[in-house]
Amino acid sequence: MKRLDPRQIVEESVLEVRGDGKAGGGLVLAFQTLAALYSSLPHLHVQEWPFFSSARRGANIRSFLRVSARPIDIGCEVTRPAVTLLMDEGAANTVDFAEGVSHGGTFVLNTRRTPEECARHFHLSGRVITVPGDDIGTKYLKAAIGNVSAYVAMTEAIGGVDFENVMETFLKQLRKRRIPDLLIERNREALMATRELVRSGEFDLARPGDHATTRFAGYGDLPIGAQTRLRLSQTNLTSNYARSGFRLVFEDPDKACTGCAHCITNCPEGIIRFEPDAERGLLVTGADVSSFCKLCGECIEVCPEHLFKEGKFEEKWADVETPEEAHS
Amino acid sequence: MSTLDMAPGASPHVATPGGEMYPDVIDLAKVKAAHLPLYTERESATTDGNTAAAMAVLQMWRCLIYPGFPITPSTKFIETIAAKVGAQQAMGGRKRVKLLEAEHAVADYLVAASAACRDLVFVTATSSVGLDHMTETTRSLGASGLGNAMIVNVYRATANFPLCIEGDPSDTLGHRDDGFIQLCCRGKQQIYDTVLQAPVLGMHPEILTPTMPGFYGLKDSHRNARFTVESDAAIHAWQDKWIKPCPLPGLLNGDTAMGNCVTSRHFQGFKINQKRRIEKVIDILPQVGADFERTFGRPGLAFFDEAGFEPGAAPDIAVVSMGPDFGTFEALRSRWASKKGLKVAGIAIRLLNPFPRDAVRERLAGAKVVLVVNQAHHSGRGHLTLDIADALSDLDQRTRIVSAFAGIGGADVSEPTWEAMLEEAHDALSTPPRQSYMVFHEGARL
Repeated sequence: MKRLDPRQIVEESVLEVRGDGKAGGGLVLAFQTLAALYSSLPHLHVQEWPFFSSARRGANIRSFLRVSARPIDIGCEVTRPAVTLLMDEGAANTVDFAEGVSHGGTFVLNTRRTPEECARHFHLSGRVITVPGDDIGTKYLKAAIGNVSAYVAMTEAIGGVDFENVMETFLKQLRKRRIPDLLIERNREALMATRELVRSGEFDLARPGDHATTRFAGYGDLPIGAQTRLRLSQTNLTSNYARSGFRLVFEDPDKACTGCAHCITNCPEGIIRFEPDAERGLLVTGADVSSFCKLCGECIEVCPEHLFKEGKFEEKWADVETPEEAHS
Repeated sequence: MSTLDMAPGASPHVATPGGEMYPDVIDLAKVKAAHLPLYTERESATTDGNTAAAMAVLQMWRCLIYPGFPITPSTKFIETIAAKVGAQQAMGGRKRVKLLEAEHAVADYLVAASAACRDLVFVTATSSVGLDHMTETTRSLGASGLGNAMIVNVYRATANFPLCIEGDPSDTLGHRDDGFIQLCCRGKQQIYDTVLQAPVLGMHPEILTPTMPGFYGLKDSHRNARFTVESDAAIHAWQDKWIKPCPLPGLLNGDTAMGNCVTSRHFQGFKINQKRRIEKVIDILPQVGADFERTFGRPGLAFFDEAGFEPGAAPDIAVVSMGPDFGTFEALRSRWASKKGLKVAGIAIRLLNPFPRDAVRERLAGAKVVLVVNQAHHSGRGHLTLDIADALSDLDQRTRIVSAFAGIGGADVSEPTWEAMLEEAHDALSTPPRQSYMVFHEGARL
């Protein structure tokens, strides 16, 4: 397998980069900062833009980046990137983040998992870089936002810049947003910590046909709401808008539900399960979180008995153990 | 005392048939002196399109008040203006952001402010439904003679089902008859430069027509790239060379056409006058563009961008398009042309209204096939196709037109899509187009 060298591509043609994530997860800032970083090198031309719809926080979004030593005319979306980023594992439930990447490309993932686990799960051939960005964000920024670390890992993937410049460019972007000094300092610590936690490896696990670009086969019949289905989501399940790593949990071991039905009437998706009850009129038994729960929190807010809550959830990959399982 | 404050005591005024004129209420020299520069020398900046447009507006000393209402994807324009003005006020600046409750109020404010002083420039930014909400006023504004009003429009599908926030020029094309000078930009440099040149054109004494520079939502509004920013002083020197005291009075310094009710005879005469004024853009725009290029060393305003035309040799296929997707055509043009053994050239239209009919005809004359790429919904063959067909109708030899739709709703116009459209144009060299128009997406003819 011949590895595609991003630096060589930059010098000889146009390096194309794509990122997949979820709205509110910091993907856009990471790519904007990459654009600022590479455009700070006078001989390089840069083009960067996000792709999103009117959908809310949690919806799949994309970002594109082109870097070249030559002026960039091309303006279409990036469909055959040499470097790709998966900012949020949940985003991969509805898109193939590696689609169109040639053998030998570079894959960057914001995940706790190892490069080998990712290569095996996603069938990747090329350089795989992982960084536990959400954990770093939680530790230093008190929020599971991995864009600081994903940005550093992307500069590792593309190369050609020194770490001091990498760090200062990111902090400058924050200053432009008038982020408080204390938070900027926390980001600096997160940037520094990331350096030690970036892991990489080379693998050749893609099978023939894996990650091939799909051929457009027409729109077919357009149902109401077609807009969403025709954009990034392949399944149109709004549950995929929920925050990655969390899921709605209903627990009522003491049968405390009063039958007030506030959760039923307030749920925008109608996913609360209930059954008739002789005393209370109806009894809530749970919620169908498999399809349309966006974790909006309405039920959590209105339940007088506090029977709903957000629970941590990590999707199991059939082909690899989760980090917890491996640890135990 | 603020330069915006009213002069103390009774102001001298002059009675005109349209109302009172207060010629000395606003002291332009004081306004100019109060301007705080954003840039003191030429620099390079990396921003998105909305920010590039906002920076250009902020650098003009004639821009004092920015009425606005946030609407995706032009919100960034308002945010940038508000942030910079806020920072400047801390340093003693004199500019104001006026956030209003709805787009129609923004348009009304734009009229009032523009009419109040014809020698200052007033700018807002909007998009899609926002522009639609302004319609009642923009139609009047287009006729008003207020060349100092500017609406920066970020293209996206106009009031429409389903909702789409991406780059689609149907909003601007739906407002072509509002009476604005409509300038289409692509790329950060062109956005910045166009906003700087727009008031020079609109306020020209022979034109006196408001301007509407525009660029594609997301594809340009949110795309970051590097561009050159001029110093405020250089911009002022260039604009002041062109912008002279307005020959028509405003409300504070005279009357405008706004608010009058006339009979049909006068209405028609008024409209003919409006038409004649905007037609002058065809004569004056190239002069403004050429002077901008002489001054700043970059291409200025033009009727269209062009690629691949060779002196004395008409192309086999000429492409007509607009916006940033033309760049993808430029990137693959020579490779595709060599493979086919053809001469392929193209133009990206920059002046949408008034349409530069004669210049387009002259440029496309001799091409065997003209491929027109439309990016907005149209009930017929396409807005751009109709204009091109009209422009080419005077040619002795009839040119075959292939009308294509691609990128509607801001959909990606990929390299395979361009190649598919060019293949249809290639076929049309020997046989008539299969259909009066064709729709393309991701390399397929639908």
